[in-house]
Amino acid sequence: MASGLATRERSGAGPSAAGPGRRYSLERRQRRTAYLFLLPALGFFGLLFFYPLGQELITSLYTGPRADRFSGLQNYAGSFLDPAVRNSFWLTLIYAAGVLVLTIGLGLLLALILNQPLRGRTVLRAVLLVPYLTSIVITGLLWRNILDPQVGILNRLFEAVGLPAQNWLLTDPLATLIGISVWQHTGYTSVLFLAGLQGIPEVYYEAARIDGASVLQRFRYVTIPFLAPATLFVSVIGVIWSLQQFALPFLVTDGGPGNATDLYIFHVYNVAFEFRDFGYASALSYLLLVVIMIFTLIQFRAGRRSEFA
Amino acid sequence: MSIGSARAGSLSRRDALRLGGSLVAAGLGSSALAACARAPKQGSGGGGDQFRIYWNAGHVYDAYAEIIERFEKDHGVEVVWEKFQWEDMRPKLLADFESGNVPDLVEDPSAWATEFAVTGNVASLRSYIDSDGAEMGFPDDWQEDTVRRYTVDGQVYGIQLHLTSQQLIYNKAMFSDAGINKPPATWDDFLATARELTRGEVHGCALNYDYTYSTPWLLQNGVQYYEGSELLVPRDAAVEALQFQRDLVHKHKVSPVPPVSTDYTGPRNVFVAKKTAMIFTGPWDIAPIKEAAPDIDFGVAPALSRKTQATIAAGTGVFIPKGAKHADLAWDLIKRMTALDVELKVTEEADMTMPRKSWAEDPKIASDPVLGAFGEGLSYAEDWWDALNRTGKRGAVDELYKSMYQQVVVQNKPAADAVNTFVEQATRQVKG
Repeated sequence: MASGLATRERSGAGPSAAGPGRRYSLERRQRRTAYLFLLPALGFFGLLFFYPLGQELITSLYTGPRADRFSGLQNYAGSFLDPAVRNSFWLTLIYAAGVLVLTIGLGLLLALILNQPLRGRTVLRAVLLVPYLTSIVITGLLWRNILDPQVGILNRLFEAVGLPAQNWLLTDPLATLIGISVWQHTGYTSVLFLAGLQGIPEVYYEAARIDGASVLQRFRYVTIPFLAPATLFVSVIGVIWSLQQFALPFLVTDGGPGNATDLYIFHVYNVAFEFRDFGYASALSYLLLVVIMIFTLIQFRAGRRSEFA
Repeated sequence: MSIGSARAGSLSRRDALRLGGSLVAAGLGSSALAACARAPKQGSGGGGDQFRIYWNAGHVYDAYAEIIERFEKDHGVEVVWEKFQWEDMRPKLLADFESGNVPDLVEDPSAWATEFAVTGNVASLRSYIDSDGAEMGFPDDWQEDTVRRYTVDGQVYGIQLHLTSQQLIYNKAMFSDAGINKPPATWDDFLATARELTRGEVHGCALNYDYTYSTPWLLQNGVQYYEGSELLVPRDAAVEALQFQRDLVHKHKVSPVPPVSTDYTGPRNVFVAKKTAMIFTGPWDIAPIKEAAPDIDFGVAPALSRKTQATIAAGTGVFIPKGAKHADLAWDLIKRMTALDVELKVTEEADMTMPRKSWAEDPKIASDPVLGAFGEGLSYAEDWWDALNRTGKRGAVDELYKSMYQQVVVQNKPAADAVNTFVEQATRQVKG
């Protein structure tokens, strides 16, 4: 068939020179070219992403220090009964919710302030991004040293102004990790919200003002609906990032004290490299993947509904 | 002639796409070929003539650097000396075991080699020892325990490199100011001394956030980590030892609450800041203390007694992973690094204590007040992990112990409940 089409194309036969046959051939060539261009990306993701994912799925069906004893779905079933897994999952949900709510709230507040005609606004925006641009390793070590109750600078400052010494990494370890994450991500979130705010046409505010809407009403009925796409993006990325948090417990608390900051991925890491149970760790990773996909779908649904509303 | 010139000097979009596609295909093909070309031949020493060593970042001494330099020249290899913290080395090593791309030589803490030997990841040194042991003095010149800890079913899987013990380090000036003329020898003495030394912001002692520092207390109370398929035996003695440490912090308040951290340096930091008078540590902290606070006149006292005088025998060893590409060369490097003159050089450089009997007998060592005290401690030091290492489950059990220790000593939870939970969970791990 292909050769027939090609013959017709060359001889000019068929309904017209630019007829369906020629169009089909052109489409095919374009498709082929497109696939050719996609090939490096497909190769890259196939080799470095989907192949390891497949391998991990297989590993999750095995057990033992060398993951060489087939155990079927036992790793998945066992995880639901494992109190350590339940604890780490619960901690991670609290952590993710805390980070998300505070980051969105503070980020939006900062964006609203920065959207006003302030002097030095550009410098402020740049400064706000610094924590986000700083490596998580530096951030973790920095805060660990600042918060050290014995030799950290924060207690020296508290002492200088007559405040009692803090030992937050002991008294409120999870809240402290939430605080560090909020410190790191709020600037970036505010920049995203700021871009959203600057994209809202002024005409809507004018119309609302003419209709007698108050500042709060304009915020509620104009700003918030227009910021829905930015909010959706921030919340989806925020949830994914928070559920996958590893660096802070690893660098700041080592999951402690006790199991107080044993976040899910940190727990998976320990199952793999301390407990030497790669099969179980793989199953736990897959379960998190499912959870993240569910959360993301819910957020997309909710986001789409709010956009249409 | 260029493609463009064939089409009246212009490159059509389709041609550009074809060219791009061809280049990508060629690139992928050549990469694959290049990868094949780079693939090492079996036993050729992969990665060219590179010899890979995994080493603890705190043990990069000039004495070892000199040996490695000579080793490179003698064998015409390039040594890639990779330095890690222990907690980073373990995942790297386990990933290497899985991938088959193992280093040639590894420094390990407290006989990881035995744990990994159980799962078949470590090469036996038996044949090397049979041919070279007498010449290098192995095992006769090594402290007996250090040989036993690396031996499984008659096969030796590692050679002890450093041998350390934890002792009591105290600030002599603070003792003198408080009118105390000798260091404590028992738990009761220790508590009384710590109470006298605790004034305002200064604490009598400082316990460590790192769980491994709790083990001498358990040994002193006659507790074994793993014995006859049971953990923390006898259990009531383990509870008592952990409760005593908890009380030092939360009841008697002679130690600050160990600050949440990811390392072991907390007590050392408060010791050099003169905010505590006593800490338990090993020779690895001597050089940093001397450097950070040269004005502190400190003494090293023997470990405490309760039911028995005891401390933990730790230190590091070296092993050759199974499948290492330069196993013979690795053995040669082990021989060089464990020679007596090298041990003495490392001690001179870093105050590290060593496993050779002839090292302990050296007049310089025996007459040194600090090293001599640590050396004496080795005579009653015990290996906390020996039996557990042989189960291959030490990593999992240690992780649970760490959590239990922090709950009791840091978070002030009752020792009995925490110990019972630990034993239950850890037993499942060992049997599982």
